[in-house]
Amino acid sequence: MGTQEQTEVASQSGTRLADSWVTIVWNDPVNLMSYVTRVFQEYFALPRSEAEARMREVHEQGRSVLSTGSREQMEVDVQAMHSYGLWATLQRSGE
Amino acid sequence: MRAFVVRDHEAVAGLDEDERLVIARIVADVGLLLGAESFGHGEARTPERDDLASVMRFLERLDDAAVEPDDPALLRLLPNAAPDDREVADEFRRLTHQDIRDGKIDRLRRVWEQLSAPGDEWAVPSDEVMATAAALTDVRLVVASRLGIESDEDAEALHRDIAEASAGLRTADPEDLGLDPERLWLGMLYDALTWLQESLVSLRIGGSDE
Repeated sequence: MGTQEQTEVASQSGTRLADSWVTIVWNDPVNLMSYVTRVFQEYFALPRSEAEARMREVHEQGRSVLSTGSREQMEVDVQAMHSYGLWATLQRSGE
Repeated sequence: MRAFVVRDHEAVAGLDEDERLVIARIVADVGLLLGAESFGHGEARTPERDDLASVMRFLERLDDAAVEPDDPALLRLLPNAAPDDREVADEFRRLTHQDIRDGKIDRLRRVWEQLSAPGDEWAVPSDEVMATAAALTDVRLVVASRLGIESDEDAEALHRDIAEASAGLRTADPEDLGLDPERLWLGMLYDALTWLQESLVSLRIGGSDE
């Protein structure tokens, strides 16, 4: 078995072991509530009311979990949030 | 300055030439901070109005601080994706930072082009509304970092200072009022950018629910 195949098997079993990650968006003093709502609508395809509820959670609780999935998926979501200028992080679910 | 309104398939704000020059300049500066080549050709012309000339002087100082890799303004644009996990944070940086930088630079350059069009307007096509709003966020993040805005309280304190100052400024020099002129001018620029961004994103165009 080549190194390439070993790596693939390892990463597959890693995914299968329910390695669940989350994307967290954090409050910051610069981003506008209206803008954050629109970003959540556009990127996460949330209806406006749901996007507003998440924005309020970020603003009032300081953070909100916006997505859950594999580490690779969360890297894509965090990259998108940073691209929009929002402060987002990823971590293992439950940490 | 007039807020964004919808006209045909565009969002259009009213900005005179000096206002467009100041905003185009800071947009280009943020591009440089991210490692872009200079936008456009040659030096930006200094506006004729004295108050805007002051802003330009402060923006020049903004540039000087922009080369440090641990520059806090750059960290606002490219934040740590996993502060508690070095391995995750490093991999994220390695995989994504160049793409994020390139995307931000492209957006800033496009906004710079919008602002460099002739006329007393800033016209944003509806399909560029979110990209323009995102570019404005990046510019505001950098200005906020230079102003030391790290909390909602910091932002409120800045607003109070500006409100107090704008009453007195009609008759006096900022230094005579005991205010830091750099904080005042950058703060007023920050407020103007905030107001423009708010008016742009509150329009119901350029979104998926159009």
